[in-house]
Amino acid sequence: MVARFPARVAWDRPFSVVLAAVASATLSGAVGRAVSVEVHVSNGLPGFTIVGLPDAAVREARDRVRADVLSSGLSWPLRRVTVNLAPSGMRKGGAGLDLPIAVGLLVATGEVDAASTQALAFCGELGLNGSLRHVPGMIALADATAPLGLVVPLCDVREAALVRGGDVHGAATLGDLARVLRGQAPWPEPPPPSGAPSTPHEPDLADVRGQAVGRRALEVAAAGRHHLLMIGPPGSGKTMLAGRLAGLLPPLTPDEALTVTRIHSAAGCSLPDGALFHRPPFRAPHHQASIVSLVGGGSWSLRPGEVSLATNGVLFLDELGEFPVGALEALRQPLEEGVIRVSRAGGTVTFPAAFHLVAAMNPCPCGEGVYEGACTCSAVARARYRRRISAPLLDRFDLVVPLSRPDPDELLSGVPGEPSTAVAVRVAAARARAAARPAPERGPDLAPDAEALLGSKLRSGVLSARGLHKVSQVGRTVADLAGEDTVSFAHVAEALSLRAGRAAVVP
Amino acid sequence: MTLPEEAYAVALASMPSIGPATLRELLADDAPSAAWTRTVGASGSVRHVARIWERHTELGISVLMAGHPSWPARLVDDPGAPAIVFCLGDPTALDRVATVALVGTRAPTRYGIGVAAQLGADLAAAGVSVVSGLALGIDGAAHEGACGAGAPPIGVVAGGLDDPYPRRHARLWERVAEHGVVVSESPAGVRTEKWRFPVRNRLLAALSDVVVVVESRHHGGSRHTVDAAMALGIAVGAVPGSIRSATSEGTNALLADGAFPVCCAGDILVALSLAGASVPAPSTPKARTQRPEPGTGEDRRVYDALSPDPTSLDELARLTGLDLPSLCGALERLARAGQAVDTGGWWQRL
Repeated sequence: MVARFPARVAWDRPFSVVLAAVASATLSGAVGRAVSVEVHVSNGLPGFTIVGLPDAAVREARDRVRADVLSSGLSWPLRRVTVNLAPSGMRKGGAGLDLPIAVGLLVATGEVDAASTQALAFCGELGLNGSLRHVPGMIALADATAPLGLVVPLCDVREAALVRGGDVHGAATLGDLARVLRGQAPWPEPPPPSGAPSTPHEPDLADVRGQAVGRRALEVAAAGRHHLLMIGPPGSGKTMLAGRLAGLLPPLTPDEALTVTRIHSAAGCSLPDGALFHRPPFRAPHHQASIVSLVGGGSWSLRPGEVSLATNGVLFLDELGEFPVGALEALRQPLEEGVIRVSRAGGTVTFPAAFHLVAAMNPCPCGEGVYEGACTCSAVARARYRRRISAPLLDRFDLVVPLSRPDPDELLSGVPGEPSTAVAVRVAAARARAAARPAPERGPDLAPDAEALLGSKLRSGVLSARGLHKVSQVGRTVADLAGEDTVSFAHVAEALSLRAGRAAVVP
Repeated sequence: MTLPEEAYAVALASMPSIGPATLRELLADDAPSAAWTRTVGASGSVRHVARIWERHTELGISVLMAGHPSWPARLVDDPGAPAIVFCLGDPTALDRVATVALVGTRAPTRYGIGVAAQLGADLAAAGVSVVSGLALGIDGAAHEGACGAGAPPIGVVAGGLDDPYPRRHARLWERVAEHGVVVSESPAGVRTEKWRFPVRNRLLAALSDVVVVVESRHHGGSRHTVDAAMALGIAVGAVPGSIRSATSEGTNALLADGAFPVCCAGDILVALSLAGASVPAPSTPKARTQRPEPGTGEDRRVYDALSPDPTSLDELARLTGLDLPSLCGALERLARAGQAVDTGGWWQRL
């Protein structure tokens, strides 16, 4: 039970401080911007105004702050209160400015001493009952408020501490915070992690029966970070396979983990228990997703899109042929550069977008196109469906794999496939081999007969110059998986067969 | 300027209110110029006729009229024949040699495409013209095989000759006109409307000595051609297909109804000579050249797992128990030796 202060009205108190300035920050895209919250209390009709380009959420802070201050048993000035958010020319959004406004009022009314807030910044949302609540983007806000100490809601301490270390403090209620600032209590400790396993359950490849080609394509894709397109009829296990790719990838490095956590934090996504992501993210937006939701944006609070949330992880586009053409073409630039620049009249924000693209589609609108004579689509409908995937986008996929429905015997046999952990070991070994090898100057080291095979495919028109490059890259990955230094005939043959699905989509 | 009689026939055919049957009636008794005056009245502008005629000559479209010496012999005694036929290419190709229609579904299987192309090439090489509708699927595959392989190909289309339909076959259309002839009942400028396809199919059957359906669904458009051929007393053949394949339902039903089975070009040549067409004697099918059997080890195992039907890589991996690099390596070696072929990720034995 929180001890209550006697409610006091401070109108009779002589004002030694009429102006209080409190440091805070607001979120712009995925980065924080420092904001100074100035609270001015003067004689006049009681009122509460917020200026400095606040958005609707900030404007509503008036009512939250007043209710929270009174619920906490703290005094509310019956005078004219003006809050300015400096720099005034920059738009501010979100409820994270509730707490600094409240603290500024406490200073202005003399509830706490101005000196106690000098070396601190505050970010947090207020509830009507005096509590402090979570705000999104805490990592970016923590960055923006350095080197000041940071005070956040107790539930956000771990997230902010990822980039700030020890000088992050938390409080559960405004009353607790006032007591600490007065020197009446120590900073409360954040709750310990719940102890739940830090890695969420990932689906396992052992669930997939048969599908030798699909499994292998997944392994090669994971080992070489090759973008993968699976083409098959409904029920051939495309979605099931794609969902198991993230489980084959090695855990994130500390830098990658921070990037992933930062972008998820800015997007307001819930973070894992330890606040830091250790596993690559897996994002699977629905095919009705808008361009903005995929690449990021919004009217003026620029939010990261699915391509950024999938950075250092997997972006899975199921039913690729059903996505709006514009949304697919918008993926080309981030695929090339690993970042996405979102520009609006108000400014440009760069989000990371180094994602591993995995897509699945049917061979034709009815889906049965791989089976002889089973397709009921007209030739025109097929051609129209294929045109949805432009040649430049198709070229981004190193692996284009045709899948067919699994063999009924294998499906019913009950013999589980190879588990993800076994495949992940091979993937990690292949990645280590590739990382240890100095970058070759003239493409991978090919055996003579492998080179002859590629040459004959090039001359017969099966491969383009770009295709040749892709096949030799995939061949290199296959050789890495086999633990061999030279790319052999069989490796190139497999790389060729792992893009045989192009025949189904190239008219 | 004096205009040929054909010009008036073309002008009549270009009138939206005049269909093939009306045109036939109009031209049955009168000369085209008289029919034009009778239909349009004295106000009928000669300039209008001249403009239409000019457009056809500019496009290189020649016009054949019933009753004229150049009229195709197969249409002479046909009461349902059109009154006028437009040609792009060499019109004498229509009468030069025996003709066989190769028709079928627009959405064929690889099997159908392969058979159509093979029959087209073999027939053309044997000196028989391949007649087809230049549609997607079987029609196109048959002409792809027949173009430049020997006898002139004959394309029969529904719309005007100035507007290739379907657009994707514009190039094939040109090649057929170059090596043989493309014919239509529609004057230039006429769009390909739906009702013109059955009309086209009838003309296609009438210009052929034998009609062969390569692959067709249960209620496919090939049925129109077959019905027209039966009404004209033209022999109909069909290529047998799997009883499990939807695209062979129509052809298998035709076989049950008495169509002669077509397993190679020789079967068609026999039917042609029975139909009284002058054809070169069917040559005995070439003995299959014995391919060297693949060696031992993995290649042999993979070769044994392959079949003449396309098999997926998954299935091959399951049958042979090999891992993918070994399997793909063996398949590429077999392909290089000409013993296997890859069709978009599906492999078959040659």
